[in-house]
Amino acid sequence: MADTIDAYSIQNWLESCPQSYLMDTEYGHGPEEKEPDFILDNEVVLEETIKATVQLVVGERCALSASSGLINAAPDEASRRFLATQTLDEARHVEVFTHRLYDLGVKKQDLEGTIQRYANPNLVKFAEILLEKVDRKDFVSGVVGQNIVLEGMAFSVFEMMHAMNEPVNAKFAHTLSGTIADERRHVGFGENRIGSLIQQHPEKRPEVEQMQKEMSYFMLATFADAFRNNQTANELEAAGIERPHSEYQGVDLGTMEPEEMEQVLADTVLKEFKTRLGRIGIEYQTPARP
Amino acid sequence: MVDPLQSPEEVEGRTERRRFVLEETGFDEVPKRYRKFYRKWRGPGDQLGPNEAICPVCKVVIRSSRELWPGDRLYCMPCMSRLVVVESADGTLEARVSY
Repeated sequence: MADTIDAYSIQNWLESCPQSYLMDTEYGHGPEEKEPDFILDNEVVLEETIKATVQLVVGERCALSASSGLINAAPDEASRRFLATQTLDEARHVEVFTHRLYDLGVKKQDLEGTIQRYANPNLVKFAEILLEKVDRKDFVSGVVGQNIVLEGMAFSVFEMMHAMNEPVNAKFAHTLSGTIADERRHVGFGENRIGSLIQQHPEKRPEVEQMQKEMSYFMLATFADAFRNNQTANELEAAGIERPHSEYQGVDLGTMEPEEMEQVLADTVLKEFKTRLGRIGIEYQTPARP
Repeated sequence: MVDPLQSPEEVEGRTERRRFVLEETGFDEVPKRYRKFYRKWRGPGDQLGPNEAICPVCKVVIRSSRELWPGDRLYCMPCMSRLVVVESADGTLEARVSY
């Protein structure tokens, strides 16, 4: 069994990721898997799906900038190598979600315009807070912001999206399961590396806690915009398509109003933040509710 | 040593650990030779066996070929966390992260 340092090796990443769950995939899914007709044939559902996918691209572009920027701020060789593998993971996520936009009909020449049109301003502010820490080569704040706050959020969002898509969209569920597997390594690195580093740098705690509070606020604001203005459920109901009864955190997503789903996701992510930060000795700060 | 149970703990009054034959569960997030030692957690209703513990970091179920006892040290390969098995207030076993 590999020890902690070997676990951060390129060899471990090769055997766990490209030679395992990514084997035989194309852009994160099976070559024959396609987006379902109920998305492609309905203008409203299609636009909502493009809008949601744009947020994933924006989040992953932030993660790519952050993980690559943290490589040269890392205090040890093992962390640098791990962050190099994470950088490739994040670049892959940017690519697979961008490719999904093409599968949904976005033309290559319209990609940046589509992202600018739909990118949630609150998500952009969330990213700016993190990237400001990375630009200052603040490794402790950067890893907490990236591998615990951003990745912790992504982990729960992807889990919820996976539950919703698994019964109706095998292609996107497959893409998400690969990104969830990547996120496990990323949150593991964040907790394990910072768990020991924060003990050596207790003076960093107030700054890290303030960053978590600010990022959490903009995350909640992004969730609010995404769920409260989403027309997908109404449109599916109007078209006579029953939503799948997917279970997430013990609730049936197929019977919930968008606002209730927002509440479940927000509560899940904040509870996870509190638990993860508590384990590494950082006091969770409750954000304002947008 | 491929079993995630890295360092079995002696527990007073207990002599022999039960053994378990592990089969593949479809978990593919680690190299092949380690796969049978992990499975996906199926949510709040998922009952754990006496040889299983949930990783609190990545929510994967870690499975050993031996019964788990309090004090055992585990390794979670999907998220690279080192864990210690503890007995919780309700008598069930849970894993805690060891940094």
